[in-house]
Amino acid sequence: MNNLLEIKGLRASIGDKEILKGIDMTILPGEVHAVMGPNGAGKSTLSAVLTGKPDYTVTAGTVLFKGKDLLSMSPEERSWAGLFMSFQYPVEIPGVTITSFMKTALAAHRKARGLEPLKTSDFLKFMKEKMAFVGMKPEFSKREVNVGFSGGEKKRNEIFQMAMLEPDLSILDETDSGLDVDALKIVADGVNALRSPEKGVIIITHYQKLLEYVRPDVVHVLKGGSIVATGGAELVEVIENNGFDRF
Amino acid sequence: MGHGNYIPSIVATRQETVFVKDNFEETLSGGAERHYVVEAGASLYVVCTVLPGKSSSFDIEVDIVGEGASVELFGAYLTGGSEDVSFNIIMHHRVGRSCSRQLFKGIAGGKSKVRFDGRIIVAPDAQQIEAYQENHNIVLSEDARVETKPQLEIYADDVKCSHGATVGKLSEEEQFYMRSRGIPESEAKVLQMISFLSPVLSRLEESGRDVFEREVRSLA
Repeated sequence: MNNLLEIKGLRASIGDKEILKGIDMTILPGEVHAVMGPNGAGKSTLSAVLTGKPDYTVTAGTVLFKGKDLLSMSPEERSWAGLFMSFQYPVEIPGVTITSFMKTALAAHRKARGLEPLKTSDFLKFMKEKMAFVGMKPEFSKREVNVGFSGGEKKRNEIFQMAMLEPDLSILDETDSGLDVDALKIVADGVNALRSPEKGVIIITHYQKLLEYVRPDVVHVLKGGSIVATGGAELVEVIENNGFDRF
Repeated sequence: MGHGNYIPSIVATRQETVFVKDNFEETLSGGAERHYVVEAGASLYVVCTVLPGKSSSFDIEVDIVGEGASVELFGAYLTGGSEDVSFNIIMHHRVGRSCSRQLFKGIAGGKSKVRFDGRIIVAPDAQQIEAYQENHNIVLSEDARVETKPQLEIYADDVKCSHGATVGKLSEEEQFYMRSRGIPESEAKVLQMISFLSPVLSRLEESGRDVFEREVRSLA
């Protein structure tokens, strides 16, 4: 089976500070990987580098996404290729409604595949379905992106966007932080419903809450910019009981 | 008189004086010189627009001389070359119980220069007035310059007045968020610029909005 994502010897810095000190990770289609680690371990840097956030410099290593060089792609090209990140801190975009945001995003995805934009009526129908799927009220379609949203609403909006864009690999960056149990369940249901034999998920978190609802196939412990342990779901229990100190 | 530097007489002697007795609306494109005298109960509504490519100046003085008058001034401007654009706005509340609101928003690119001078003057005894002025700017390039100078001169005490001015850049954080959803960088900038201008663009006819959207695309 071809690897969905293959990270080899990845090193990255912000300014002159090295944060990732050689990461290796291989994700097969259908797998859910959890990356756990204490604050400052480099978890958010990993997701930022994978999605192409400016300000980070990759100093060594390679990342292949579906066999293609991910690091040479722009953030939008990575999205078109099927990569998605649910942001830890979703950004507010005043003046841009969710409808025009998603319409523009979807049209760009279709254009990258040589397709015309959806007809407005088809787009609205598709959006309505996905909103219902994550339990978002229809009136949110007219709201400005994330403006005035509660923490839970922002995270739900991320999962909604994930459902709209149907990515092959989703990175959930601390999606569970600041969520109450109900919101967490909605997020988890959304993620579980999008699991398929072709798709992969990376759940980045420093605690096990979301992993109770979305069982990972592989768990990595990231500490000090390196992966210090890799195992199955049983690692989650070990961390829950003993914290990160033993690694 | 005890009112500092307040100059009570109407000093402006402009070519174009418009006496506003009931409702008056106009759109001023690419520069104008106007003196509006707004009488009791009348309302004035003006939208100023500037599109890239040509220098322009707006010299606008409003004298509110009657109670119950209301004035709204809007401006949207886009520059992208080496043009100079200036606004010189004086809003003079000469009597009480009147209100004025000003919102000017613009985007400066290329090597252009934008200057916004706005004064609100509230006469002594012009009580219970409301006067607001906002000027917000986005600078797209290193070489573009924006200077904004909002001023309030208030000689009355029972008034609600405020002014605000900002000069900023397009948020890269917003751009990255949009790009991570597959929106190309240039399209992300267009969305940002149109949403920034939209409180003023919504005041224009659809055809005017379309022209702005086209010009925004050429700047992105």
